[in-house]
Amino acid sequence: MGALSPTLDATFFALSDPTRRGILERLGRGPATLSQLAGPSGLTLNGIKKHVGILELAGLVETEKVGRARECRLGPATTLGEAGEWIEAHRRAWEGRLDRFERFVERAG
Amino acid sequence: MIRELRYERLIQASPARVFDLFTSPAGQREFYGNDAPGWVVDSRCELHVGGVWEIAFGPSPGELYRHRHVFEAIERPRRLLLATTETRLDGSRLAFSTEFTFAPRDGATLMTMVQWGFPSDELRDEHGRGLPHAFDRLARAL
Repeated sequence: MGALSPTLDATFFALSDPTRRGILERLGRGPATLSQLAGPSGLTLNGIKKHVGILELAGLVETEKVGRARECRLGPATTLGEAGEWIEAHRRAWEGRLDRFERFVERAG
Repeated sequence: MIRELRYERLIQASPARVFDLFTSPAGQREFYGNDAPGWVVDSRCELHVGGVWEIAFGPSPGELYRHRHVFEAIERPRRLLLATTETRLDGSRLAFSTEFTFAPRDGATLMTMVQWGFPSDELRDEHGRGLPHAFDRLARAL
Protein backbone atom coordinates (compact mmCIF):
# COMPACT_ATOMS: atom_id res chain seq x y z
CA MET A 1 0.00 0.00 0.00
CA GLY A 2 1.28 3.42 -0.89
CA ALA A 3 2.08 6.04 1.68
CA LEU A 4 -0.23 8.95 2.32
CA SER A 5 0.95 11.98 0.40
CA PRO A 6 1.35 15.39 2.03
CA THR A 7 -1.66 16.51 -0.02
CA LEU A 8 -3.80 13.72 1.37
CA ASP A 9 -2.65 14.47 4.91
CA ALA A 10 -3.63 18.09 4.32
CA THR A 11 -7.03 16.98 3.04
CA PHE A 12 -7.77 14.84 6.09
CA PHE A 13 -6.57 17.60 8.41
CA ALA A 14 -8.69 20.19 6.64
CA LEU A 15 -11.80 17.99 6.84
CA SER A 16 -11.30 17.17 10.53
CA ASP A 17 -12.74 20.51 11.69
CA PRO A 18 -16.54 21.11 11.80
CA THR A 19 -16.17 24.82 11.01
CA ARG A 20 -14.22 24.02 7.85
CA ARG A 21 -16.77 21.39 6.85
CA GLY A 22 -19.45 24.01 7.37
CA ILE A 23 -17.56 26.34 5.04
CA LEU A 24 -17.43 23.62 2.39
CA GLU A 25 -21.12 22.91 2.83
CA ARG A 26 -21.87 26.60 2.32
CA LEU A 27 -19.60 26.80 -0.73
CA GLY A 28 -21.34 23.74 -2.14
CA ARG A 29 -24.32 26.03 -2.66
CA GLY A 30 -22.22 28.61 -4.52
CA PRO A 31 -19.32 31.05 -4.09
CA ALA A 32 -19.23 33.38 -1.08
CA THR A 33 -17.01 36.16 0.18
CA LEU A 34 -15.09 35.88 3.43
CA SER A 35 -17.58 38.26 5.05
CA GLN A 36 -20.51 36.16 3.91
CA LEU A 37 -18.84 33.06 5.35
CA ALA A 38 -18.08 34.83 8.63
CA GLY A 39 -21.66 35.99 9.17
CA PRO A 40 -23.48 32.74 10.00
CA SER A 41 -20.42 31.09 11.59
CA GLY A 42 -20.12 33.61 14.40
CA LEU A 43 -16.37 33.80 13.74
CA THR A 44 -14.34 36.93 13.13
CA LEU A 45 -13.09 37.72 9.65
CA ASN A 46 -9.58 36.72 10.76
CA GLY A 47 -10.90 33.43 12.11
CA ILE A 48 -12.60 32.63 8.82
CA LYS A 49 -9.47 33.61 6.89
CA LYS A 50 -7.47 31.09 8.90
CA HIS A 51 -9.90 28.25 8.17
CA VAL A 52 -10.19 29.17 4.50
CA GLY A 53 -6.39 29.24 4.28
CA ILE A 54 -6.20 25.65 5.54
CA LEU A 55 -8.86 24.55 3.05
CA GLU A 56 -7.02 26.38 0.29
CA LEU A 57 -3.73 24.63 1.11
CA ALA A 58 -5.52 21.28 0.78
CA GLY A 59 -6.92 22.32 -2.60
CA LEU A 60 -10.49 22.13 -1.31
CA VAL A 61 -11.17 25.84 -1.74
CA GLU A 62 -10.03 28.49 -4.21
CA THR A 63 -10.12 32.21 -3.50
CA GLU A 64 -10.00 35.21 -5.79
CA LYS A 65 -9.90 38.91 -5.13
CA VAL A 66 -13.06 40.46 -6.58
CA GLY A 67 -13.11 44.22 -6.08
CA ARG A 68 -12.56 44.83 -2.38
CA ALA A 69 -13.73 41.40 -1.33
CA ARG A 70 -12.15 37.95 -1.50
CA GLU A 71 -14.47 35.42 -3.05
CA CYS A 72 -14.24 31.72 -2.15
CA ARG A 73 -15.44 28.71 -4.08
CA LEU A 74 -14.92 24.93 -3.97
CA GLY A 75 -11.49 23.88 -5.28
CA PRO A 76 -10.54 21.09 -7.65
CA ALA A 77 -11.98 17.73 -6.66
CA THR A 78 -8.72 15.94 -7.44
CA THR A 79 -7.68 15.85 -3.78
CA LEU A 80 -10.88 14.04 -2.90
CA GLY A 81 -10.13 11.56 -5.64
CA GLU A 82 -6.74 10.93 -4.08
CA ALA A 83 -8.34 10.34 -0.68
CA GLY A 84 -10.71 7.83 -2.21
CA GLU A 85 -7.87 6.08 -4.01
CA TRP A 86 -5.89 5.79 -0.78
CA ILE A 87 -8.83 4.25 1.07
CA GLU A 88 -9.35 1.78 -1.76
CA ALA A 89 -5.66 0.82 -1.61
CA HIS A 90 -6.01 0.38 2.15
CA ARG A 91 -9.05 -1.84 1.65
CA ARG A 92 -7.33 -3.93 -1.03
CA ALA A 93 -4.29 -4.51 1.18
CA TRP A 94 -6.39 -5.82 4.08
CA GLU A 95 -8.64 -7.86 1.78
CA GLY A 96 -5.50 -9.47 0.39
CA ARG A 97 -4.31 -10.37 3.88
CA LEU A 98 -7.61 -12.07 4.68
CA ASP A 99 -7.53 -13.96 1.38
CA ARG A 100 -4.03 -15.15 2.13
CA PHE A 101 -4.93 -16.21 5.66
CA GLU A 102 -8.00 -18.10 4.39
CA ARG A 103 -5.80 -20.10 2.02
CA PHE A 104 -3.35 -20.75 4.86
CA VAL A 105 -6.11 -22.24 7.06
CA GLU A 106 -7.27 -24.46 4.19
CA ARG A 107 -3.72 -25.75 3.66
CA ALA A 108 -3.26 -26.31 7.40
CA GLY A 109 -6.35 -28.54 7.38
CA MET B 1 -22.09 7.09 13.95
CA ILE B 2 -18.57 5.73 13.59
CA ARG B 3 -17.31 5.09 10.08
CA GLU B 4 -15.96 1.59 9.62
CA LEU B 5 -14.44 -0.64 7.02
CA ARG B 6 -15.77 -4.19 7.21
CA TYR B 7 -14.36 -7.36 5.67
CA GLU B 8 -15.74 -10.90 5.94
CA ARG B 9 -14.50 -14.37 5.04
CA LEU B 10 -16.21 -17.73 5.50
CA ILE B 11 -13.41 -20.12 6.43
CA GLN B 12 -13.84 -23.89 6.47
CA ALA B 13 -12.66 -24.63 10.01
CA SER B 14 -14.00 -24.18 13.53
CA PRO B 15 -13.76 -20.78 15.26
CA ALA B 16 -11.22 -22.19 17.74
CA ARG B 17 -9.08 -23.53 14.89
CA VAL B 18 -9.22 -20.25 12.96
CA PHE B 19 -8.53 -18.19 16.08
CA ASP B 20 -5.56 -20.35 17.06
CA LEU B 21 -4.06 -20.27 13.57
CA PHE B 22 -4.57 -16.51 13.33
CA THR B 23 -2.74 -15.94 16.60
CA SER B 24 0.05 -18.42 15.81
CA PRO B 25 3.44 -17.17 14.57
CA ALA B 26 2.94 -18.99 11.25
CA GLY B 27 -0.54 -17.55 10.74
CA GLN B 28 0.60 -14.05 11.60
CA ARG B 29 3.51 -14.26 9.16
CA GLU B 30 1.17 -15.56 6.50
CA PHE B 31 -1.30 -12.74 7.08
CA TYR B 32 1.37 -10.23 6.13
CA GLY B 33 3.02 -12.43 3.52
CA ASN B 34 3.34 -12.00 -0.21
CA ASP B 35 4.47 -14.28 -3.03
CA ALA B 36 6.83 -11.64 -4.42
CA PRO B 37 10.50 -12.80 -4.38
CA GLY B 38 12.43 -11.32 -1.48
CA TRP B 39 9.32 -10.25 0.43
CA VAL B 40 10.18 -9.61 4.09
CA VAL B 41 7.93 -10.35 7.09
CA ASP B 42 9.23 -9.93 10.63
CA SER B 43 6.44 -10.58 13.16
CA ARG B 44 6.76 -10.52 16.94
CA CYS B 45 3.74 -11.04 19.16
CA GLU B 46 2.96 -10.94 22.87
CA LEU B 47 -0.47 -12.55 23.00
CA HIS B 48 -1.99 -11.03 26.12
CA VAL B 49 -4.11 -7.98 26.85
CA GLY B 50 -1.76 -5.01 26.72
CA GLY B 51 0.72 -7.06 24.69
CA VAL B 52 2.10 -5.86 21.37
CA TRP B 53 2.09 -7.53 17.95
CA GLU B 54 4.67 -5.77 15.78
CA ILE B 55 5.16 -6.52 12.11
CA ALA B 56 7.63 -5.15 9.61
CA PHE B 57 6.86 -6.17 6.04
CA GLY B 58 7.71 -5.12 2.54
CA PRO B 59 9.47 -5.93 -0.72
CA SER B 60 12.98 -5.55 0.70
CA PRO B 61 14.76 -4.89 4.01
CA GLY B 62 15.21 -1.28 2.93
CA GLU B 63 11.52 -0.74 2.17
CA LEU B 64 9.46 -1.87 5.13
CA TYR B 65 6.02 -0.89 6.33
CA ARG B 66 5.40 -1.34 10.04
CA HIS B 67 2.20 -2.23 11.84
CA ARG B 68 1.95 -2.16 15.63
CA HIS B 69 -1.12 -3.72 17.22
CA VAL B 70 -1.78 -3.49 20.95
CA PHE B 71 -4.19 -6.16 22.22
CA GLU B 72 -7.09 -4.47 24.00
CA ALA B 73 -9.26 -7.59 24.25
CA ILE B 74 -8.57 -11.29 23.71
CA GLU B 75 -11.65 -13.51 23.99
CA ARG B 76 -10.69 -16.89 22.58
CA PRO B 77 -12.12 -18.10 20.26
CA ARG B 78 -14.63 -15.31 19.63
CA ARG B 79 -12.93 -11.93 19.41
CA LEU B 80 -9.73 -9.86 19.24
CA LEU B 81 -9.65 -6.09 19.64
CA LEU B 82 -6.49 -4.27 18.59
CA ALA B 83 -5.30 -0.68 18.64
CA THR B 84 -3.44 -0.48 15.34
CA THR B 85 -0.81 1.98 14.22
CA GLU B 86 0.54 1.91 10.66
CA THR B 87 3.90 3.55 10.08
CA ARG B 88 4.45 4.55 6.49
CA LEU B 89 7.68 4.66 4.56
CA ASP B 90 8.04 8.38 5.20
CA GLY B 91 7.76 7.77 8.95
CA SER B 92 4.28 9.27 9.32
CA ARG B 93 1.62 7.28 11.15
CA LEU B 94 -2.04 6.38 10.92
CA ALA B 95 -3.86 5.00 13.97
CA PHE B 96 -7.20 3.17 14.04
CA SER B 97 -8.97 0.29 15.80
CA THR B 98 -9.16 -3.24 14.39
CA GLU B 99 -11.54 -5.91 15.64
CA PHE B 100 -11.57 -9.54 14.53
CA THR B 101 -14.54 -11.78 15.36
CA PHE B 102 -14.85 -15.51 14.74
CA ALA B 103 -18.45 -16.75 14.62
CA PRO B 104 -19.68 -20.28 13.88
CA ARG B 105 -21.60 -20.41 10.61
CA ASP B 106 -22.87 -23.66 9.05
CA GLY B 107 -19.97 -25.74 10.32
CA ALA B 108 -17.42 -23.13 9.30
CA THR B 109 -16.28 -19.77 10.72
CA LEU B 110 -17.39 -16.34 9.63
CA MET B 111 -14.26 -14.28 10.25
CA THR B 112 -15.06 -10.58 10.30
CA MET B 113 -12.55 -7.73 10.47
CA VAL B 114 -13.81 -4.25 11.24
CA GLN B 115 -11.66 -1.12 11.29
CA TRP B 116 -12.72 2.29 12.51
CA GLY B 117 -11.32 5.52 13.89
CA PHE B 118 -9.95 6.95 10.64
CA PRO B 119 -9.41 10.69 10.41
CA SER B 120 -12.34 10.94 8.04
CA ASP B 121 -14.94 9.62 10.50
CA GLU B 122 -16.46 13.03 11.03
CA LEU B 123 -16.63 13.57 7.31
CA ARG B 124 -19.09 10.73 6.93
CA ASP B 125 -21.22 12.12 9.75
CA GLU B 126 -21.36 15.39 7.90
CA HIS B 127 -22.13 13.63 4.66
CA GLY B 128 -25.22 12.14 6.31
CA ARG B 129 -26.39 15.68 6.99
CA GLY B 130 -25.97 16.72 3.39
CA LEU B 131 -22.47 17.79 2.40
CA PRO B 132 -22.13 19.20 -1.09
CA HIS B 133 -21.96 16.83 -4.01
CA ALA B 134 -18.20 17.30 -4.22
CA PHE B 135 -17.90 14.89 -1.29
CA ASP B 136 -20.05 12.15 -2.70
CA ARG B 137 -17.13 10.36 -4.30
CA LEU B 138 -15.12 10.24 -1.10
CA ALA B 139 -18.07 9.05 0.95
CA ARG B 140 -18.66 6.23 -1.54
CA ALA B 141 -15.00 5.25 -1.39
CA LEU B 142 -15.19 5.14 2.40
